[in-house]
Amino acid sequence: MLLLALGDAHIPDRAIDIPLKFKKLLSIPDKIAHVAILGNSTRSSEFLDFARLVSSNITIVRGELDNATIRDVTDEGSKAEVTLPVNAIIKQGQFKIGCCSGYNVVPKNDPLALLALARQLDVDILLWGGTHNVEAYTLEDKFFVNPGSCTGALTTDWPVTSTLAQPSSDKASLKETEKLGKEKEDPQPDTSDKDMEESEEKSTKTGQEEERELEEEDIEISEFDLTGSNVPSFCLLDIQGNTCTLYIYMYIDNEVKVDKVVYEK
Amino acid sequence: MSYSDSLDQAITTVKQQSILVQRSLAQRKLMDALRYSSIMLTELRNPKLLPKQYYELYIMIYDALTVLSNYLFENHPKKHHLADLYELVQYAGNVIPRLYLMITVGTTYLKCPDAPTNEILKDMLEMCRGVQNPIRGLFLRYYLSQRTKELLPENEVALNSQFIITNFIEMNKLWVRLQHQGPLREREQRTKERKELQILVGSQLVRLSQVIDDNLTMYKDQILPIILEQIVQCRDIVCQEYLFDIICQVFPDEFHLNTLDTLLETTLLLNTDISVNKLISTLVERLNGYLKRIEQQEITNQSKVDVFDVFWNYLNKLNEERPDLSISQMVSLIEIVLNLNLHWFPNNFENLNKVYELISTKCNDFDNNIPKETEFVFLNILTLQNFDFLDSNFYFKLVIECPAYSSLLSSQNSNLQTAAINKLLDVFITADNFVIDSKTQLESFLKLCEPLIKMKLKRALANESSPTNQSSNHPMDPFVVKNSTNVGQSGVSEEKQKISRENIDDLLSFDPNQEKLSKFIHILFNSVLKSTTFKKLESQVEILLIIKNWLYKGGKNITFTYPSVITNFWRLIRKASLFMNKIPKKKPYYENVIKQNFKYISRCTTEMFNICGAQSNDQVFKIILQTASLADQLEFGEIAYDFFSQAFTIFEECLTDSTTQFQELIYMAQILQRTRSLYKEDYYDSLIVRSTLHGSKLLKKQDQCRAVYLCSHLWWATEISSLGEEEGVTEDFFRDGKRVLECLQRSLRSADSIMDNVQSCELMVEILNRCLYYFIHGEEYETHVTVNYINGLIELIKTNLKSLKLGEEAQLSELRIDDNPRNVTKNTLVNGSDGNYVQIGDNNMNTTSTVLNPQSKLLRVSDLIQVPIQHFHRTCKYIVNQRDIDPRFETIVV
Repeated sequence: MLLLALGDAHIPDRAIDIPLKFKKLLSIPDKIAHVAILGNSTRSSEFLDFARLVSSNITIVRGELDNATIRDVTDEGSKAEVTLPVNAIIKQGQFKIGCCSGYNVVPKNDPLALLALARQLDVDILLWGGTHNVEAYTLEDKFFVNPGSCTGALTTDWPVTSTLAQPSSDKASLKETEKLGKEKEDPQPDTSDKDMEESEEKSTKTGQEEERELEEEDIEISEFDLTGSNVPSFCLLDIQGNTCTLYIYMYIDNEVKVDKVVYEK
Repeated sequence: MSYSDSLDQAITTVKQQSILVQRSLAQRKLMDALRYSSIMLTELRNPKLLPKQYYELYIMIYDALTVLSNYLFENHPKKHHLADLYELVQYAGNVIPRLYLMITVGTTYLKCPDAPTNEILKDMLEMCRGVQNPIRGLFLRYYLSQRTKELLPENEVALNSQFIITNFIEMNKLWVRLQHQGPLREREQRTKERKELQILVGSQLVRLSQVIDDNLTMYKDQILPIILEQIVQCRDIVCQEYLFDIICQVFPDEFHLNTLDTLLETTLLLNTDISVNKLISTLVERLNGYLKRIEQQEITNQSKVDVFDVFWNYLNKLNEERPDLSISQMVSLIEIVLNLNLHWFPNNFENLNKVYELISTKCNDFDNNIPKETEFVFLNILTLQNFDFLDSNFYFKLVIECPAYSSLLSSQNSNLQTAAINKLLDVFITADNFVIDSKTQLESFLKLCEPLIKMKLKRALANESSPTNQSSNHPMDPFVVKNSTNVGQSGVSEEKQKISRENIDDLLSFDPNQEKLSKFIHILFNSVLKSTTFKKLESQVEILLIIKNWLYKGGKNITFTYPSVITNFWRLIRKASLFMNKIPKKKPYYENVIKQNFKYISRCTTEMFNICGAQSNDQVFKIILQTASLADQLEFGEIAYDFFSQAFTIFEECLTDSTTQFQELIYMAQILQRTRSLYKEDYYDSLIVRSTLHGSKLLKKQDQCRAVYLCSHLWWATEISSLGEEEGVTEDFFRDGKRVLECLQRSLRSADSIMDNVQSCELMVEILNRCLYYFIHGEEYETHVTVNYINGLIELIKTNLKSLKLGEEAQLSELRIDDNPRNVTKNTLVNGSDGNYVQIGDNNMNTTSTVLNPQSKLLRVSDLIQVPIQHFHRTCKYIVNQRDIDPRFETIVV
């Protein structure tokens, strides 16, 4: 059984659409049994219609920019305002999968806070969003999955990988650090880090060479510098009995790259 | 001799006679053969035959006469001389048999080299005048034409064409006359018959085309004028429509290209009941087809006649001379010319502009009174959706180079406009490959979108008509309110609440048009950024402001569109900050740019707040907080503080429901917890105290409790990895354990004071979990969350759970917290982070939870008490597991 986790589309406010290659990948009818939308994706009827085409089983949780209710087809088939829950739980195989958009988890994105929520919801897998950065790790035998933003939309939070951080404390070593009491399987590809390092290298080089006045045009700005987001991404969870195989899809340089992580209960 | 009564009989007669003719010829009895032929031909005298029946007989007779003709030719001049026979057949009793025989003999004679060709031809043509009955005459002349087909003298183009034209003219006259025969009530029947016969007349033009071949001069100077004169003079609709069509089809493309004006001119002289559109459409299709044909043949040196110009002049003339044409007819006609231009000169926007201008003028003539059934024509004209070869670049130029296009669009009714603009935006949104080089171009696009910008959404419209129009009567500028004294504030709030209730139904979650517009704003701004004209950041800001100001006209619609603008301001701010860091010399300049942009965002949110009404308050609140967060990241502490203050003002001024308040406050805490630049001047301190205070004053106790324990994190900063911070390494985190503990204590007091003991217990378990969070995070002297405190809390929870159990009489069994949950109950209920219950179905199929609020009647107490019990159970299990990793957990007693 395949469960699609999508989040933070921010269409149309911050993005126009998900990458066409993602759409093509997902537009296979009857393949995906369930879609979980993890917030900030309900301001586009076009996007929701697309998600409904992927699967009629949709779970949507409320993100900070979603209205409290959305107009949706009710069980009776008529359109009505449906309240978006803050948390939802999907039961599948031997797993209970919790969904939350992450905007009411304090501190934001904190593994221990997420763990407390997973415990409160009594779930084995917690899907969360709001960070625009794809992540997956196991902690205390629970599986935590953030599918990132399916559009790579701008985030106003601290940039995922950043050259924006203030120049004074510039030596930002962005290597993923092991967090307290946390076994981390970080499936995130090296590419973003590499990109980062490269651009850092460039900037230091130009810094050394600099004699003449730099102009705006001389400064190369990558899309990531402006969005603060990671590449567009989403996750597919293949659930068979007590095994959950997670496929992470990322859109890097106009290509779709896939990573795989296996979690067993 | 007489003809048969029925068709069947006639057919039998013809068959019999035809056999007799053959037999006679075989026996070389020519006179008998001629006699039988004559009997056979008598059947063609029958006036009752319908054209189809007549045709059937004609074909049979034609074949029989061919046999005769062959015999005559083979035996000339050995057995007989054709000149004699030509004389002889004149004595046949009836005119029809006589003339058929005469033509048969005459045309056979033509095959002979010594025949006086011209005389014979002339004579036959003359003699045919003897039959003036339309059907009989038409077939007779058709017979003449068929028989002479291969026999007209070579190299006598003028003569031959003259022969065919004469025959054509006479046939046409007969054909037209048929219309006026018989009683008036049979008119329609006549018309039907005529349409069946038209091919006979048309075939003459085919012959003509074959004869004159590629002789353009002759066609242009002699042939065409005569044909057209006939067409015009007969004043007959069927004839004019048919023959015009035939002309377009049978003569070569080059002829048409060179006689376009004459052809078009002629259409003005035709019967006014004729559909000019049909004629013109045929001609244009022919010309467009020509274009395809020469492309296929790759003939490159074809000089393109300026067909558009010819048609354009024609259109104008038509417009003057035919005021009787309806707007539908006229516009369809213009559409045809548009079609021509798009095929011939797809890059000529000057032409297009002219065309759209003309349509506009036409619309004005009719006071823009466009009949419903014509709307689709307008939609086609405005979207050009039938021309699939047009790309986004074409549409781009259409918008910027055809001002008439835009003005035509803007004069349509709103449905039509919306449909057309949507189609255009679809093209632009998927293409994204154009560059906007000037403000004028930008304005063209914005003007194009104006109808969508200003579109009145249905439900919003309904509200507008209600007597309380809040936005103008009660300007709600949060910054004005902030600076005013507290006097009267409660009054304002009450007013607001009243309004907000009225507006709840007013809310539209989304509108497809506004969604499209919103997407297009990104496309539009990106295409400006691509231009070299707008390389400078400053000019980009200016452009974004122009866009924003246009969107402002949308009134309440800005709730849909402003977020796109704000997104782009955020991007510009990040860009400016990058420039600021890379070009240190210009730091003050960029600082100023950034400040300006933040002000513009503030302008946007203020406008949204004032105009959009209560339904947008939550959205505005969140956008303000996000902007505050961005300002903080870029070390603009003052600005960040100001945005946080604005957010507080909205929070405090807009009395929304408790659910909204709770989630807004948590979001505020989440954002504040991740700020780094507010420590100066105690900004941070005042903000977090204010948040916590608000948390403790929320309407519901359970919300208070959760808000306050979440606010405890405001005194416990955690790492932000993109800043290079690391737990255990970074030493200067803002942390104040004493305050953390105070919050937890305050939260516990709220939990304890809740009368609903299920909720009270659940909240205590949640607080316990918070305590464990801090316990992991640091030593007791830092966090102030001591083992004793935790153990005390666990004791308290245990006691409460026991009394909870006691209160539930239905379950008398001993409560043991380490029970396997599955043995106790099907554990399907948990408490969500907002206090609502989340229930999952019992079955093992793919299921999704439903959310129930704590007051829901669907909740059973026996299930409810399991919520805190199991949550506590899971928490204890966690504590036990942690002992392997962190020995400090040994001291926690579970």
